[in-house]
Amino acid sequence: MSTEYLPGEVHDDELDPNEIRYVEGAVRNSAEQLAAYKNIDLATLPLLFLLFGGISVFLFALTVGDWDFWMDWRDRRWWPLVTPFSLILLPSVLGTFMWLKFRLPMGATFATMSFLAASWASRYANFHDFAGFPLNFVSPSTWVGLGVVLDATLLISRSFYFTGFVGAFLFGLLTYTINWPIFAPFRIPIEYNGTMVTVADLMGYMYIRTAIPEYVRIIEESTLRTFGEAVTPLTAVFAGFVTILNYYLWCWVGHKISVSRWMNRII
Amino acid sequence: MMYKKIIGILLLSLTFFTFGEMAFAHGERAQQAGLRMRTLNWWDIEVTPKKVTVNEVITIKGKFSPSVWWPKHMANPSERLAYLNIGVPGPVFVRIDSRVNGVPMIRSTHFELGKTYDFEIKLKARTPGRYHMHPVLSVHDTGPIIGSGQWVEITGDQKNFENKVTTLTGEVIDLETQGMKEIATWHLFWVAVGLAWMFYWFRKLPVLMPRFKEVERLGPLHANDMISMKDMVVGVVFFGGILIAIAASYVWTQNQYPVTTPLQTGEVEVAPLPGQGDVVQIKMLDARYRLPGRSFKVDLEVTNNGDSPIRLGEFLTANIRFVNRDVMGDVQPIDEQDLIAKEGLVVDDNLIQPGEMRKITLRAEDALWETMRLTSLVYDPDSRFAAMLFFFDGEGKRYHIEVGGQMMPTFS
Ligand SMILES: [Cu+2]
Repeated sequence: MSTEYLPGEVHDDELDPNEIRYVEGAVRNSAEQLAAYKNIDLATLPLLFLLFGGISVFLFALTVGDWDFWMDWRDRRWWPLVTPFSLILLPSVLGTFMWLKFRLPMGATFATMSFLAASWASRYANFHDFAGFPLNFVSPSTWVGLGVVLDATLLISRSFYFTGFVGAFLFGLLTYTINWPIFAPFRIPIEYNGTMVTVADLMGYMYIRTAIPEYVRIIEESTLRTFGEAVTPLTAVFAGFVTILNYYLWCWVGHKISVSRWMNRII
Repeated sequence: MMYKKIIGILLLSLTFFTFGEMAFAHGERAQQAGLRMRTLNWWDIEVTPKKVTVNEVITIKGKFSPSVWWPKHMANPSERLAYLNIGVPGPVFVRIDSRVNGVPMIRSTHFELGKTYDFEIKLKARTPGRYHMHPVLSVHDTGPIIGSGQWVEITGDQKNFENKVTTLTGEVIDLETQGMKEIATWHLFWVAVGLAWMFYWFRKLPVLMPRFKEVERLGPLHANDMISMKDMVVGVVFFGGILIAIAASYVWTQNQYPVTTPLQTGEVEVAPLPGQGDVVQIKMLDARYRLPGRSFKVDLEVTNNGDSPIRLGEFLTANIRFVNRDVMGDVQPIDEQDLIAKEGLVVDDNLIQPGEMRKITLRAEDALWETMRLTSLVYDPDSRFAAMLFFFDGEGKRYHIEVGGQMMPTFS
């Protein structure tokens, strides 16, 4: 590690003749090879971005669905638990794969960013433009910062075990906190027709959803439990632990994919 | 080719999963006949005005009564939560008020079977268009049960729509745009962080193939040598920086919004309207549906405990009004889709004197049995029916009472 290794940096004067040996067909010299490799990057990355965005939004809709579609469902007890549970899948698998195959700590960032882009497309086109809901009521939540944390943990530790313990824990733990700046404007209390509601509750009441009546919301209800006000931190810690286990599971899947024969045939 | 296919599938998957449940197809005829007859009786539904411009308010009001013949296998609103809703295609209106017997219906509640409730909903026009609007009662585990619809029209421009409310902290906010600044700011911030991280790894192309080959060359034990000191520093800076940014954004938010509360839920209670006493009492003797004539015949024993003679004026089932012209006169349909059979009800011996108990026979006949697919009742596994009867006394006072029970089909 004396000199900096720049990925993909190949100077014509120091070309490794062994490299050329693998190249067949139309690609004959290093400049052409470089251009071909560049094209691989330029073609693969946007395609994967679309693909993973579509997959994750689809999985998310199947598992989390209404919980993240509507501002009045993103409560402090269930939302911070179910969303990272569903969302850690692709960052774990892709993060593992990108690390094992390329030593690139960017799979989780890539997955959370593509999820975000696809979410925005879906929320804007389906929920706002087509169904007519105000954009603020159906805007996506964000996990991009936590994806980078997961990747950075893997880079610093170079260990999946440690990444699960620290990075995945933070991913679950901070899901609510990182989104709080987006949620807070919707949690201001309002007195409406003699009922106390938050801005989000009121929007859920006002903007008519015929197929989603109020009672189907699965959100925190008051209980006799002793921790009362500590719902948010306790849920966050619990979500963190669940995400650790979940990360290990999907990390294992990522390993399996990386060593599988069909995957090696593709790349 | 491959590219196009994948993108096509992606676009499809983006649109496909959201609207299955949201598109409110007019369920007027969709549900099983027996269920439509035996769940909710809706009547006196009034919509005023029927034509508004954006920001103006329309009121929809009327009465409903959960049937005492509510099918046992379906959750009913006395045992499960129910929510007063509106059947319109999306938020073309915003609901500014909804009440049952004067109690605000922001939350869900319960309703007793066989009791009567007044409802009133106020809607502020938002999206121009012409809509068929229904009152809806959603019952947990059963689904939406819709009342009869009416056409309403909104003119104007949605751009002029505003939805201002005052919070408990004294600010006036517009719900159409509330929080949008924060949403944009923080999403952009985190996207910038994510892009910076990705850019660092892809700052010089090509990346994927050379690194892949390098990993292969070094093998799993030495591949970590590809990580430089600079990479490590960048990793630590991002890791620490993000944790600090999350903490700072949290503190900033607590400063900006010191007063917040968790999402609110819970039930409300509402008492039914007082009953009308035992002025009219009925006993169903026999009910037959004659398929060829599209004719429903019911024999009833009616007792008049009041001090004025009564007559049967209307038979209401599954949102269809079978009107007795002799009693009600010429009732005009509200619009082209109003389910009304103006001369659909014929009653023999239709005058019950005070203190009298008398057998009457009613016939509800109209093509609406067919067009509204109620004839399929004959093929239901449980061929029972229910309907609301409206009697009128000499002073024009109205008494409603539900009739129901076993129904026999006649095929010739
Ligand atoms: Cu309709």
